[in-house]
Amino acid sequence: MSGDHLTGTTFEGRAAEQLAKPFQRKAIPAAVDGTVAHSRALFATGDRERLRELGRDIRAHAVANLPEYVAAFTDAAEANGTRVHFAGDATEANAIVAGICRDAGAQLIVKSKSMLTEEIELNPALEAAGFEVVETDLGEYVVQIANDRPSHIIGPIIHKTRGEVRELFSAIAGRDLGDDPRALTAFAREQLRDVFLRADVGITGGNFAVAESGSVVLVTNEGNARLATSLPRVHIALVGVERLLPRTADLSVLIPLLVASGTGQQLTTYLSIASGPRREGEPDGPDEMHVVLVDGGRSAILGTGYQDILNCIRCGACQNVCPVYRQVGGHAYGWVYGGPIGAVLTPLFKPSAEGLEVAHASSLCAACDDVCPVKIPLHDLLVDLRRDRVGRRIPGRFERLAYGAWSRAWSSPLLYRLSGRVGIASLRLLARGGVVRRGLGPLRRWTRDRDLLLPGRRRR
Amino acid sequence: MERDAFIARLAAARPGPPLPDVSSLPAVHTELRPGDELYARFVHELTAVNGTCELRPAAAVSAAVVAALGDARRVALGADLGDHQAPVEGALAAAGIAAIAYEEAVADRAVLGALEATVTGCALAVAATGSIVISAAAGRAAALIAPLHVCVVPAEHLVGGLAEALRILPPGSLTAFQSGPSRTADIEKVLILGMHGPGATHVIVAT
Repeated sequence: MSGDHLTGTTFEGRAAEQLAKPFQRKAIPAAVDGTVAHSRALFATGDRERLRELGRDIRAHAVANLPEYVAAFTDAAEANGTRVHFAGDATEANAIVAGICRDAGAQLIVKSKSMLTEEIELNPALEAAGFEVVETDLGEYVVQIANDRPSHIIGPIIHKTRGEVRELFSAIAGRDLGDDPRALTAFAREQLRDVFLRADVGITGGNFAVAESGSVVLVTNEGNARLATSLPRVHIALVGVERLLPRTADLSVLIPLLVASGTGQQLTTYLSIASGPRREGEPDGPDEMHVVLVDGGRSAILGTGYQDILNCIRCGACQNVCPVYRQVGGHAYGWVYGGPIGAVLTPLFKPSAEGLEVAHASSLCAACDDVCPVKIPLHDLLVDLRRDRVGRRIPGRFERLAYGAWSRAWSSPLLYRLSGRVGIASLRLLARGGVVRRGLGPLRRWTRDRDLLLPGRRRR
Repeated sequence: MERDAFIARLAAARPGPPLPDVSSLPAVHTELRPGDELYARFVHELTAVNGTCELRPAAAVSAAVVAALGDARRVALGADLGDHQAPVEGALAAAGIAAIAYEEAVADRAVLGALEATVTGCALAVAATGSIVISAAAGRAAALIAPLHVCVVPAEHLVGGLAEALRILPPGSLTAFQSGPSRTADIEKVLILGMHGPGATHVIVAT
């Protein structure tokens, strides 16, 4: 689905819309709690802290030295027979992919799941260029048919019921398929298998790109990325430029971190390391492999206080534990990414007033910091983004005046004590029986859902 | 963009930490634990992800392959079975299964799409993750195009953990780790096997 969902909306408005969906609020914890528990149990069998430190250092090193590793990756990939393309922004990335497809005389394109292609809105661009594009991850296939957006990095349709999937698939089948997930999955397999056998081009993302070998690394459970790199004549991998790893050996740290955090598995069913087109003597595989390295706003983050966010490996663990995300779901964040990672990335990639507001969609509880497999200080970054928002004078005049006054008052011992007395005296005026049930002004929203107890008297 | 201009934009980064040494890893679930026995750990992990496994002396491998194929008759055979290639081909013929070479099957999409089972060897198997590792030399889609995949693993191809496997990756344009049958839980978290790849993966470890 294209179009900017942020423009003219507020987080509060989008969240209210999501909160009105009773299935979703139960579905998110039901969908992610198993993953969280499995992940915790797996990490408990090893030295989790040391592993996370290694993961953080490898990622931070790679991100800090991208010129070196992009050059090494490109040389190694070209030596494998892969063509490497460089896209500065979304428009350029989409044009490069459309160009490759046109040169290949392609009509039908199969895609495996890729958040980057959601960012750059590749599908609408390819459709506008006259190609048929079919998503092959089961969840993404449903998202595509429903003209929806994924609401979680790993589980794109955790917001959808089996009944909704039944309706969508039954409409295609022309008969009622029932709501057994087994039958629905079997139907999707059959539809998509036919597409795989006919497709001209397979498009994948890349979980990592390895500089020393020029390889693109893909993890899936369904096997769709593997098929997309096997059967079509052309394989195109779109990789965010920050996803480079220096060495193949780095995968022995980052794969267990990614997989255990993302799905709670020992290893995903499929882990593919793609290193170029079909070679002499190999029975199948594409005639061409292309890698499109995409900047898309990443280089602008390098060198700023937000550089650490580029260490992210898109596992979704921060979403699973976020008390805000668990209530409102991914769509409330208004762009591609929900949860803490979205609350940081959206303001950076979409720095409009609406985009910056998303940094406030967090309770700053730091549960995300605790689970991040590469130890990104997400809640520090959220606080910094809020400060930037104030610096850009985006909050209203009243909000700025009020916080300015508060800051000045509490910087002076005398005014601090005085403000305390005034505050308590005002609360007493509002209280009935020691409890404020209906506040005024800024207090009104607090007391809408909660009672405020009066502070106790100081004993002297 | 041109390569140089693209790379130039990445030069503004703040310095990062040095690249850490990963030649010895902290304890992690994708490696062996003290006291792990290779085959026992492999069976444990593969079974945990819904694969099945048996240990057979070399001479009994071809009979085990025939048994594992059950009723499947449209069968493709990888060319990577090594010492087992000729015995397996012979046993399939004797059992009345007209297996074709994977290389032939992949040349005809109708044949490929109708396969009921594939039989391949493997370059490596990883005990700590229950994975088999197949190189593109044997066929990228050979292990996942049919509803049933039977894999013959020479016992000496079994390695301990992911780190060791990554150090000795087989040559080829694609290296494929595969841990049990294809799976999805996209619809209301209900686990379903056989999404795009096989619904059943059977491994025969040949001693």
